Amino acid sequence: MDAIQYYNQLLYRMEELFYHELSDCAPWKTEYVGIDFIQSKDIKGSTEDEVISACIREIVCADLAKDISYSIGGKGILLKLRIAACRHLPKETMLRASGIKPYNCPIANMILDQLVEKLGYTTTYMADLSVDEGSKECIAMAAVYATPDKIGVVSDWSKE
Amino acid sequence: MADIIDVITSRKSIRRYKPDLVPDHMIDKILEAARWAPTGENYQPWRFIVIRDPETKNKIGDLSRIGSGSRMTAWYCQGHMQKRFEQIQDPERRAEVLRFMYSGQVSEFAKQAPLVIAVIGSLMEGSVDVPYDLSAAVENMLLEAHSLGLGACWVHGPVATTRDAKKFKEILGIPTGMGQYKVLAYVAVGWPAEERKHPRPKKPLEELVYWEKFGRTERP
Repeated sequence: MDAIQYYNQLLYRMEELFYHELSDCAPWKTEYVGIDFIQSKDIKGSTEDEVISACIREIVCADLAKDISYSIGGKGILLKLRIAACRHLPKETMLRASGIKPYNCPIANMILDQLVEKLGYTTTYMADLSVDEGSKECIAMAAVYATPDKIGVVSDWSKE
Repeated sequence: MADIIDVITSRKSIRRYKPDLVPDHMIDKILEAARWAPTGENYQPWRFIVIRDPETKNKIGDLSRIGSGSRMTAWYCQGHMQKRFEQIQDPERRAEVLRFMYSGQVSEFAKQAPLVIAVIGSLMEGSVDVPYDLSAAVENMLLEAHSLGLGACWVHGPVATTRDAKKFKEILGIPTGMGQYKVLAYVAVGWPAEERKHPRPKKPLEELVYWEKFGRTERP
């Protein structure tokens, strides 16, 4: 067994247990999972695009995912990440097979963490994670709030 | 012994309060009720922080607004909130309720509550099932407050995420280590400024109770 598979199995079991304890509150509690990696890098940037791009460079360079693209929409609230061939895809597959919708994306956590840490964003919220095992691609949708007055700025994300 | 069922079934979460203070002897009774909650191994992990300082309550109210609002804004954008409140027929009223929710105002009421009690639990070595013990303590507090004629509400919003829980701890000077204290919620308490409507509809027991085995609904 290779190390990646082993660690994904550990993560899968932890997330399964965590979901069993907290149901749909579990994703609210796991926002720190993955941040140690990105915090060990010297991410620099003074804008959203610069910080996100710097994070993506480090993540791809470390081979945690093959490719990551992103878009910002929903009046500046919605950060949509498209993550290809992520190292954690096996854990999402195992989780879904156990009847639990994948809910914790370490890659998204890293980027959201740096928006808070480097740009002082008020808060972020991981809204959805969809996993396509066939294409080996995940789509993470997160709400990012640069300032408190961004709370309550609504739009229709299905059109994004 | 008196039957407590009337207190239980007439309780309702109260989020609007008169400015009148809650007397000390009532605060003591609410805390005393909490102290008598069931607790695994009699560990009594609970600690309570009684907050009346307006500045602190404002900080907690702001954190609550951002916590609830950040989630509900996203849920609205995904269409979940509209589904949840589709039973409100009047479109204007529905829009007003939705705005109240996704703006986070729904959780901001700590600012107006004369009294806020933070419920935290020690996670130090030897502790067991801390969140369950704390939840039992909160329920006792709500029932005692109600029986005293006060209104109260259990609020988890400001501590729902790991990052927000840390901010909450910092506001109150609680040690922030993940292995030290868990912040479960706060309970806002005051004299009700809203009518105690009949409790919200509850599922009938027939829907909730099985006999002897999971799924067996007929009483033997």
